[in-house]
Amino acid sequence: MLNEPRREHICLSPPSERSRREFLIAAGATGAGVAAFLIVGCGDDGEPDLVMLGYPRQRIAALSELRQGEPVDFAYPAGGEQNFVVKLGEAAQIGVGPEEDIVAFSYLCTHMGCPLIGQYKDEHKIMGPCPCHFTTFDLRHNGMVVLGQATQNLPQIALLVEGDDIYATGVIGLFYGAGSNLRDARVEVRS
Amino acid sequence: MSKRDTGRSEVLAAGIAEPADQVPLPPPDAKVSTIACEYCPVACGYKVYTWPLEKEGGPAADENALGVDFPVQQLTGKWVSPNMHNVVQVDGRPHHVIIIPDGDATVVNVGGTHSVRGGAIAQKLYNPQTPTVDRLQVPLLRVRGTLQPISWDAATDIVAEVSKHVIENHGELAWGIKRYSYQFYENIYAITKLGYEKVGSPNHAPHHAPAEGDDVPGFSDTGIDAFSAAFEDDKEADVLFISGSDPYETKTVRFTTWMAAGGAKIIYVDPRKTFTAAFAEQRGGLHLQLKLGTDTALYNAIVRHIIEQGWEDKDFIEEHTSSADEIAQDGKWRRRMFGLSFEGLRAYLQSDDAFTLEGAEQITGVPADKIRQAAEMLTGGGAAERPKTVILFEKGLYWSHNYENTAAIGNLGVVLGSVGRPGRAISRMGGHQRGGQSAGKYPIDKSPHEFQGNKIEMDTDRWTVEGKTRFMWVIGLNWVGAAACSQQIIDTLRRLVLETEPQVTSEDTATAIAQLKERIDNGGMVLVHQEIYENETTEFADLVLPAATWGEENFARNNAERRLRLYERIADPPGEARPDWQIVAEVARKMGFDGFDWADSNEIFEEAGAASKGSRRDFSALVEKVQAEGRRGHDLLREFGTTGIQTPIRGDGGDLVGTPRLHEDLTFKTASGKANFVKADWAAVKARNDLLAPVGDELWVTNGRVNHLWNNLFDFTRRPYAIQRWPMNFLEINPEDASARDIESGDLLRIESDRVRNQVGEEIQGSFEAVAYVSDIVPPGVTWTYFHYPKSHANAVVSADTSLQPISLRYNFKLGRGRVVKIGTTDLRERMPFAPRNLV
Ligand code: SF4
Ligand code: FES
Repeated sequence: MLNEPRREHICLSPPSERSRREFLIAAGATGAGVAAFLIVGCGDDGEPDLVMLGYPRQRIAALSELRQGEPVDFAYPAGGEQNFVVKLGEAAQIGVGPEEDIVAFSYLCTHMGCPLIGQYKDEHKIMGPCPCHFTTFDLRHNGMVVLGQATQNLPQIALLVEGDDIYATGVIGLFYGAGSNLRDARVEVRS
Repeated sequence: MSKRDTGRSEVLAAGIAEPADQVPLPPPDAKVSTIACEYCPVACGYKVYTWPLEKEGGPAADENALGVDFPVQQLTGKWVSPNMHNVVQVDGRPHHVIIIPDGDATVVNVGGTHSVRGGAIAQKLYNPQTPTVDRLQVPLLRVRGTLQPISWDAATDIVAEVSKHVIENHGELAWGIKRYSYQFYENIYAITKLGYEKVGSPNHAPHHAPAEGDDVPGFSDTGIDAFSAAFEDDKEADVLFISGSDPYETKTVRFTTWMAAGGAKIIYVDPRKTFTAAFAEQRGGLHLQLKLGTDTALYNAIVRHIIEQGWEDKDFIEEHTSSADEIAQDGKWRRRMFGLSFEGLRAYLQSDDAFTLEGAEQITGVPADKIRQAAEMLTGGGAAERPKTVILFEKGLYWSHNYENTAAIGNLGVVLGSVGRPGRAISRMGGHQRGGQSAGKYPIDKSPHEFQGNKIEMDTDRWTVEGKTRFMWVIGLNWVGAAACSQQIIDTLRRLVLETEPQVTSEDTATAIAQLKERIDNGGMVLVHQEIYENETTEFADLVLPAATWGEENFARNNAERRLRLYERIADPPGEARPDWQIVAEVARKMGFDGFDWADSNEIFEEAGAASKGSRRDFSALVEKVQAEGRRGHDLLREFGTTGIQTPIRGDGGDLVGTPRLHEDLTFKTASGKANFVKADWAAVKARNDLLAPVGDELWVTNGRVNHLWNNLFDFTRRPYAIQRWPMNFLEINPEDASARDIESGDLLRIESDRVRNQVGEEIQGSFEAVAYVSDIVPPGVTWTYFHYPKSHANAVVSADTSLQPISLRYNFKLGRGRVVKIGTTDLRERMPFAPRNLV
């Protein structure tokens, strides 16, 4: 139901090559994976609105480049989101890599959306306190709130490792601000 | 830990809580109503959107009832987290519902902020697809040991007939009610109309105490109302003095939106180094980490130092505090007994070296210099302009040394003149919202209990343990967990209810009534439990009555700044559950009482208006207005939305005017109209501490609330998101005490004592189990646990001997003690964070 067309009128044009290409680049689908998308309507300029139908597989980092305690930023699934991947140095729930200690999450606090950039505390494997209302999230335990006000774990990005490549394969939990991760993906297809 | 790389499907299979990555949005024509949060005393305002299951809104502003484009921006208060959505029945048809903090709010939770508790309140609503499936739905009668469904008519017949029998044959003191003190005006009014007024029994107590009466009597004897402040005072203040509760954890939005937002320096008093303690220090304030049970000495020392330095508010004291003669004229015995003039206070404080800076350091463990600094920050240290100071306090004070601690903090407020003016206040923070609008007066004259020849409220737990209660109607609480020395209540209920003959052997109403009466005449007891879910008390009940609750009926209630709002009905109650007032009214009618013919909760609300007159809850002007205009009280209150109106309310022409703060005219609730000082007797505290303190390898076992949970977890054990954080009760223990006992985080502990004083002053055994949370948040010698976790009764190691608190009959819940023993390990290190909870 969420992916049903949301506007009645018909687009003036099919998705142009440019918007289709930008979408696919933004969605990280130029590599091994392919992001399926659906035209769900069109903007005022007649260009189509696109919605992703499933989480793409997207390379986000190299194992060999990760340093313990130093988050690396990436966008996923569509190109506008702010996420990070970090090597904790301690095994984590659904952690990947040889030590099962590599995890990835959204940077947006699930309380009221303040960005958590720069707040990682490697000593405790905790993201936070959020600068807005002090929520802390435990990265070993699926982004569970240690103390704080968020009504959802920090959305965790499911990962897969192949050789030296770390891929994002899905999102567990709703990004702050979205009604649907895929429908409301922060994708900019028009210049 | 997973042994392989994980894709999303494996993650989902691992059963991680709430993995939803989308949420339905309300269509533009969704029904909108307002409600306030059910839980803490802040009472944040919420908007409720309901719409039929078939429909759905879209992500553009004109496609959804929120009027916002998705994705929404940060701090807008318009985002819908998956835990804010549920599916409920409205008039028998399935509907989506989202309950989100009111992003348009200009009071309380300005801009739609919220805590983890209220933020997920949509999960409270009954939905058989969720863990709320076990809501009580039909009346149950225990027949041959098991609870069997019966009709409402049979259930209320039984309660009424047994009640009449008890009152006629054993007197009204044998007939008791234990009930929540806060669960809406309409219910409390109905319950007290029956209990106080019609039956006239003093065997009546709130959820948290063995007796009715003032929770903060020492404070009230100053003449200052316990809820006089407005939240905006917290923001106006230059200095906040906070004691007895961690407001970030338990009054969250008051902390984030009001206390922390105004730039006040915080002086925070707590034996634990909590988040708020760390926050206070980080922002240039102080953490006064006192030893357990020493509040009275600390506040007395601060006040003495202020007076010695001449830093008191001389004008206020001169004009607005009572003389010894005025106190002697007061009509209230407690004020005459303990009230002091300024000179009297000074003389008392000078009489004991315990209240010098060094003496207090010895007792409290707080360095003398910090006590001096606190006195200086609170007063400006003689500067021309005094800082505006707000003092906020709560259960750490009144659940340990009730009278003395609350008197001592009151003295601090009076000596600073911190009352009745913007940014200058002294107030309780509250533990829950304020729904206690009773009908009539508690019949204290009939109470069997006295203090030095003066009537005090009846100790209902002691009375029950002595076998003198023959009928107890427990409404909306878990008596077993809520009482101190829980095991004594369990033993008593087992003996009097389950093991006294006869037990009910037939569903036939007449037979059941006859058997219950016979048991009562045999010295036994009948227990009725009226609740929304079963809890440990239900295990002893003869009769279980299913109640409808928040969101299932229109109700009214105040928050901790006296803000009155309508709590609208959102969804159908489950099954045959009924609001408490309806159940009580039907029983009362069957007992032959008149005055219980209300057609709906609004009629009770309007009747209660008159009873509220002159109190801090006074909403009589609102009722008079609607009655003059031929309208309904609830309907007018609905128009006030999440803003509500602060009581007392007065009429001004056709308008209603609220009261942001009390005592603005600097008159007080004493005979002279002036504020009193009150004797905060350290000798009494010291004697009690000597009796209750740990010895040998015992540790203090104190307790409180955590951010994620509320009260006895009736909603929260049924909320996967919350309970993943606290899957069982826990005990914070300092690394030093832990290593001495070979304890690590995640170990299973037993906390035990064989010298817990019961309700009649005997020492008995008590214990509970919890998982170890090793943390230096607690100092050596002190452990801390959740105060009311199901089946893990922190109160099992707490004295229930109210002869130790004879003025006010409050339990010293915060002063438990016991040995801590490792009894095994758990898998919780894999599942639950044991990270520090005080990072700033
Ligand atoms: S702060 Fe209190 S009232 Fe506000 S949402 Fe949280 S629990 Fe509810
Ligand atoms: S936005 Fe992060 S705690 Fe409020």
